[in-house]
Parts: sequence; structure tokens; C-alpha cells
Amino acid sequence: MNEHADDPADPVDALLPARPADFDDSLYLMLNQDVAPAVASGVFTSGFEHYARYGAKEGRRYRPDAQDSETALVVTVGPAAGPRRAAPEGGVPPMPAHRIESLRMSSGGSLLLTGWLDDATDPLIELMAEGDGWTSDLAGTALARERRRDVAEALHSGERHAHGFWAFAELGENLPRQTTCRLRFGLRSGAAVTLDVLVQPAADAAVRDAALIHLADADFHGSPQHAAIASLDGGVGAQQAAASRRISRALTVNPYVERFGPALAQPKASIVVCLYGKPEYLFLQNSLFAGGAGIGDYEFIYVCNSPELGEQVLRDARIGSLVHGIRQTVVLLSGNAGFGAANNLGASYASSGRVIAVNPDVAPLHTDWAQRHTAVVETLPQAQTSLFGVPLYYADGSLMHGGMYFENDAVPVTGPAGFIRQNLLRVEHYGKGAPPEAARFTRPRPVPAITGAFMSLRRDWFERLGGFAEDYGLGHYEDADLCLRSLALGTAPWLHDIRLYHLEGRGSARLHVHDGGTLVNRWLFSRNWGETVRTSLLGPSPAHPLLQGPEAAAPVAPRGRSKAR
Amino acid sequence: MKVLIVSVFHPELIPGGAQQVAYELFEGLREVPGVAPVLLASVDSSYPALFKTGACITGFDGRPDEYLFLSQGYDFWWNRASEPRLVEAFADFLRLTVPDVVHFHHFLTYGVELLSLTRQILPHARIVFTFHEFLAICAADGHMLRRHDQTLCERASAVRCHQCFPAVPPEHFFLRERWMKAHLAAVDVFTVPSQFMQAQYTAWGLPGAKLVHVANAQTNRNLRPLPPPAPGPRNRFGFFGQMVDIKGVWLLLEAVRLLRAGGFSDFHVEINGGNLRYASEARRREIEAFMAAEAALPPEARRVTFNGAYPLERIGQRMARVDWCVVPSVWWESFGLVISEAWMFARPVIGPNAGGPAERIGDGRDGLLFEIGDARALASTIRRAATEEGLWDRLAGGIAPPAPRAAMVAQYHALYVGAQGSGAASQTT
Repeated sequence: MNEHADDPADPVDALLPARPADFDDSLYLMLNQDVAPAVASGVFTSGFEHYARYGAKEGRRYRPDAQDSETALVVTVGPAAGPRRAAPEGGVPPMPAHRIESLRMSSGGSLLLTGWLDDATDPLIELMAEGDGWTSDLAGTALARERRRDVAEALHSGERHAHGFWAFAELGENLPRQTTCRLRFGLRSGAAVTLDVLVQPAADAAVRDAALIHLADADFHGSPQHAAIASLDGGVGAQQAAASRRISRALTVNPYVERFGPALAQPKASIVVCLYGKPEYLFLQNSLFAGGAGIGDYEFIYVCNSPELGEQVLRDARIGSLVHGIRQTVVLLSGNAGFGAANNLGASYASSGRVIAVNPDVAPLHTDWAQRHTAVVETLPQAQTSLFGVPLYYADGSLMHGGMYFENDAVPVTGPAGFIRQNLLRVEHYGKGAPPEAARFTRPRPVPAITGAFMSLRRDWFERLGGFAEDYGLGHYEDADLCLRSLALGTAPWLHDIRLYHLEGRGSARLHVHDGGTLVNRWLFSRNWGETVRTSLLGPSPAHPLLQGPEAAAPVAPRGRSKAR
Repeated sequence: MKVLIVSVFHPELIPGGAQQVAYELFEGLREVPGVAPVLLASVDSSYPALFKTGACITGFDGRPDEYLFLSQGYDFWWNRASEPRLVEAFADFLRLTVPDVVHFHHFLTYGVELLSLTRQILPHARIVFTFHEFLAICAADGHMLRRHDQTLCERASAVRCHQCFPAVPPEHFFLRERWMKAHLAAVDVFTVPSQFMQAQYTAWGLPGAKLVHVANAQTNRNLRPLPPPAPGPRNRFGFFGQMVDIKGVWLLLEAVRLLRAGGFSDFHVEINGGNLRYASEARRREIEAFMAAEAALPPEARRVTFNGAYPLERIGQRMARVDWCVVPSVWWESFGLVISEAWMFARPVIGPNAGGPAERIGDGRDGLLFEIGDARALASTIRRAATEEGLWDRLAGGIAPPAPRAAMVAQYHALYVGAQGSGAASQTT
């Protein structure tokens, strides 16, 4: 940084246009290395002066962009590496063709590196990243490979090889901001290269999301979805989980909270709803839930994962409480903390001893559902009500959910030495699309899992379970994960016949980043629970002893006449 | 008994059938002993000067018991209020006026959730709601016209509505119906101006016991009965109303083109109405092109005269210039106030064979019906009306005077005191 350039009294700078807030003199000189000598010799007082006088008109960049070529990204090449395809020196083989395509880092310590390397015959065994006061073994803990048809074509490579690489790593928080990162690539033959690469700074969630989108878009030689999930085994999956956990926690530390409507003396349950991208579901749920028998004893807690919707959500909550006289709390987050963290936070504001996690696109099928719910909670044994779900219905009238069970997909994934058997868990709904009165699916019974679209929990049990896992980030599986933890602690999830609608997939905005999130979460869920499920919980009729228990003697009689809306 | 009439728009600011009926009722209730009516009529941004800083509800032009609801930020997609200030102001207005009866004429410009709010603020008030079209059922402006082919829609469903709005999933319409019904559940009595609407709303799921047919009525404006028409052919036809698509001016002009093309020119059509700017772009251009072409003809060749809009007080002069009133509406037309107006002046009506007109006009008794939306059928009917000897006299002689305003007011009053319709509000099924 040239102090002189910042002096407002300087007669030269006074004539220059305003300096962009993100203009960094040293970065500008790195990206425009032909300018540096002119600044050093005093022709220009600073890089900014050159940019203001000539650089902007010439279309020169003062910050790297996502499409930067290696030529622009790589500042210096280490002496050990030499030029690409250089002649052997002292017996060290030459470094094959390679390219760094992007290197993004967040202030919270996430790193995303993408590029490719022609290591089909001489595999990469070392990839180290190094910055101010830190080093990271990317090859050992955070690397994934992908097929690059464009690279293979350019190299005229006939090899069935994944030339592309990407690394995602959690480096640790509170790292000093840096403009470059040193990367060292080492191949089995001893060939190596050290590169100083320009860092593109980005927000935490942006780096995590870019990695998820990269995963969703990645190409593979084998089955796309299974190969994508298998690619996470190299460490990227675990790093993603760690990043999501960290990002979620940071987002839930300091929420904005506002309460509306009259406080309830002793609410019987707290309905927690996580909003994302679709604010209308607050006023819709307010109207569809309010007014039914028994609902006056319940409070609502809305956690908004979309900060841009905060103003509207607060307005609508004010109107909703005025119109219906309901008690509701709105918790605004400054970013998307994900389903697990948002619901955990929402539950922490509950005033009752029961938390009902409800999706925004869930609506009552019977107006007296709350009364029925209260009756279930108050009349059935605690073991059947600590954690329970309900039959959920599509808008077309057919069954959408009658509990969940697990299947295992054993899929062949291409590895270096041929096929590798990979086990991936799949979560299925009992009775999806079945006729509405299919008692086989709607009858009260213990089930392996229930959907998070409607999940009623004794609050102390929810807290003992530690709430929803927060490392699933964007995607699914938090609900199944919670149910399996409950089973592991000796309490099976139950299904009780209180019917609601679930307009699956309509209540939140789905973005491309969620496609990557779903892959990561399936990988994570399979890794965490694969063995448990395959041992005693596989299929629609699992052998688990807690799922063999007596069924509820009789459906709970509603206290009032049921009326469908 | 204090009755609050909540009206979509004030008819003197923004004309329209619903607001006209609401105002007629308000005025009529003033004449009923023991009834103290209050009018709350909305206004939108078409009158920016009426909006006072910080106010949500104000008086209207110094008139006692008339108030304006300054509607802002209305959510037309969900038909809801989006401004908490307006909702709070409405709640305060209810607390200040403490009406025994709140009678809504539409929820447009207010928000359908104000029905639930009214029940929340005034648990014991009687809430009456008058449907003027099908907006509660149909997201396509409440017209129940299939958007892809403009045919009449017989019933709404999540998938059928999705077909009208392909970019919107069926679940939206599933929720929309429940959203509407959740708030309509606060109503004690619904009224509709025609029996076919009663059938439609019953089929939609509103409890039949709560749905009451109350025909619209107006002040008789034929204070000086028109002199009998001069001898000769009854070949003067008049259109009265808004020049928006559903009112079918374009269909009438198409019929004129067909008549000309068929060599029949012994007739004249007078178009009385405005608001062409609210027509669709295509229809507006079509009508404007017709107007320009007509104006370019020598006077003796012109068959259509465009007279523009008219204040209701001047309807007598306009009616005096025609023998027949044509109602070419291409939608269900919930009632057709213009039919009543034509009958006030003993003008037989030529109308479509659907909706309110079909229910009210006796084909061959006091008017003629034609196949809705069919320009050839309309042209043929016009030709018959203009040429058939004695037809006009027979039909004009068959017209029964429309029910007086007092009859409508009496029927509403009976509803207010609970003599008709259901008792306390209950959940809508």
C-alpha cells in the first residue's frame, strides 16, 4: 500500500476518480506485473494511480475473478519445479501439464482449490497448501478428483483418468488475510512444483457453497451420483461437514428475535418452523393452523434462514398475531444456518416442554389436529411420545409419509484397481403415494424413523439427544439421524394417526447448491449410520428389537368432531 | 343497530357494480328505523391526493358516516394486506365504531384476512359477506374463464387452476383455497346476487345453509318515463358498461362486422362506456382500430357510435337513444346491473345464455339470449331483433320492473337480525 496514494491532499490523487473500496495496491501490481517497474521507478506514485489513469480504460483487473487462468493466478513458480514439460534436471522428472483454475479462501478458514493435472501415469501423492503460519495436507485430508473431458481432449489422453482435482479444507479460524497461498504438488516419480497462487477472498458460506456446486456439477467416469459421493471419501466430505457445523454455529450466535401476540401462561407445545426463501408460508400457516380446536395452547416459533426476507417476515408475523391472536416468535438469522441448526435455535426459544418441528409447507388436514396431538401426548406412555411423527398427505389426497425406513444401495464405483463396492443408505417413506386410508401405513406403531416435516419431541428428550445434528448443512438426513440417535439411546420413534398435509418441496427455495448438499449429506449419513442400519435396521420390516414392540392399543379418540378443511 | 358496510372502492371515485350495490345498501339502510349505517369504502393510488400522511382511514368529503380506507401495498396474488399499519387501523376502526354487523362487499383492496381480524376484534358481531364474482375461487381475476382458450370454467381444482397458470404448481392453488376458506370461516352469512353463484359457491364447499341469494337492486332512475319510441324498425342497440375484455364490447363489434359482411346495415349500435385502458392490449388495439375505421367512414355509412363513459344520473338520456340493450359479456356475469337499468327504461335485453343474464332474462319473454362468446349468434340475434315485426313490443311488454332498492335493503336487514342464514360463525368445511 502506498501511503502517498491515500493522502487526500495529494494534488495528483485529488484529480483521480474515487478509489474502489476493495482496491488493493499490491494485488493490482501482482495481477499487472508489467506495471510494477513503473511504480518502482516513480513514474506512478502507486498502483492505483496507474489504474485510475490508464488501467481502468485498458480493462485491467484489480482483483482476480473466477475465470482466472493460471497465468494470472500463479504469481511465482518455485525453483524446484521449473517450467512445465521442462527437460529433466539431475534425474528429477519433469512436472507434467497442470493448471490452477481457482483458489478461494474465506476469513473463517475455508479453502477451495480447483484445477487439473496430467497425472494419469505418474500419480499425485502430495498436495500441500501453505500460508502465513499454517500448512495443510490437502492430498491427505481434503482432495477429490473428477473427470475432465476438456482436459483429456486437449491432452489427447486416451487414459480413463480423472484429471481434474478440487480440494476443500477447513484450515482453522482467525487466519490472517492473505493475498497468496503457496501450493506444492508432488508426484510419485519425484516430480514437483511449487506455486504461489493468488487468493480470491470470499465469504464463508460462499466458499462452502461453491464447493457444493462444484461437486454437483462434477463429471465422473462411473455413475454420476454414486461416484460423486465416493469422491467425498478423500476427505472433502468430512471437511464439508466441519465447515457446515462451523458456519451454522456462527450464524446462530447472534440472531434477531422479536415476539408477537399475547404470551401463553403454559403452552402445551411449541411449533418450530424454519423458513427459507418462501416467506408466504408464515402467513399461510398462521391462517391454516389458527382457529382449530386446541391450537390456542400452542405457540409458534419461526426461524428465518433468509435474511433478505426478514422485514417481510416480521411484518407478516405482526399481522398474523393481530389477525389470529396467536403467540409467535420470529428469529432472524443473517444467513442460511441449515435445517438442523435453525431448528435447534428455534427450540431454544420454546416456552413449552414439547417441541414440534414442522416444515413450512405442512398444513392441518383436520382442524382439530392440535387437540388430537395433545391427547396423544397426555394419554399415551412416554415411550411412545418422546419422539413421534404423523401420517402426512400430498395435496392430491394420497399418502406422503407413514414413517421412514432404510435401504442400502451397494453400488460399484470405479477405483484405481477396478471396482470398489460402496454402500450408500437410502431413506424411504412408508406408503408414499398410497391410498389415504392405507391402515398398514397410518396405524400407530414404532418405526425406524420419521420425517422432519412434522416431528413432535419431548423437549428434554430432544435436548438429551443434543438436538438435530448441525453438520448436515444444506440438504437432508438430519431427521433420520436424530431418529437413529434416539433408537441408539433406547427410544424408538413412533407414528401416531394425526393427519396433516405436506406439500413436499414447495415450502422452501431449492437451489443448485442443495444438489451438492444432498450428495454430501447422503455420504455423511451413510458413513455415520451404515453399519448400524445394515446390522438391524435394514428394509421396511427391520429386525431391531425396539421396533417389534406392541402397537398402540387403539387410536386416540379425538375430543371433538373432526372437520376437514 | 349499527351496520358497518365495508365496500371495495367508493362508487363516486371508482365506478363498479360491487361498490354501487354497497352504496345503494348504505343509503337504503339510512331509511330503516333503528339502523345506523357506516360506510368504509376503499380507494387506491388512482387518487393520490386523498392519501394523507400517516393516515390509513379518513373521512370522505365531509360526509357523515362515510370513511375512506386508504389501501396500500395490497397483495393481489394472495388477496391479503401486507401493511401492518392498515391492519391495525382497521382493527382500531372496529373498536371505535363497534358495529353490531359488519357487512363486507368484497375483500379486494382490504385483504381476506380482515374477516378473521373482524371476528378476533368483535367476537359477537354478525359478519355478512357478499360475493360479487368468483375471486375467492378463481385466481384468474375471479372470472372463471380458462386462460388458455377463454372458455367458461365450471369448477376450480388444484390441477385445473395450474393449467391456467402453468408456471404455478397445483399446490399453490390447494393452499389458496384453504387460505380463502380459513378466513371465510369467520363469516356468519354469505350472500350472492344470483342463484347460479349460490350453486357455484356451494359446490366449492361453502355450507349451503350460510349462502343466501339476495338480488342486487338500485334506486329507480327512470323518474320521467321515456316517451314511447317513434314508429319504425327497432334497430338501435346500446352497450352500457366497462370496455374491458370480459364485458365483450369486442364481441359486439365483431358481430357488427359480420352483419356488414352479410349485407345487413339497417341498424345502429351505441357504445356507452369507458375504461378501455383496462382492456387487454390486444383487445384495446382491436377496438381502437375499429373506432378509427368507423370514424373514417362517411357519416351515412357509420353503424357504431362511441359515446364514452356516462354518470349514472345520465343513463336515462343514453337509454332513450336505443331500443335494445346488448350485454355481450363473455364471462359468467354474476348479476348484470345493466339488465336492471335497461328494464327500468323498458328496454329488452339481448344477453348471453350463461350466468346472471341467463338466469334473469327470459328468452322470448322479456329479452333474447344468444350463445355466449359466439359473434355469429349475436349477429343473428341482432338481425332478428332489428327486423322481426312486433318482437320488440312483445318483449318490452313482458318486462317486469326490477325489484326496488327497498326490497334488497329489507332482505339484508333480515339477515342482520338473524332471520335468515345460519347463526354464529362456525368452521367452514
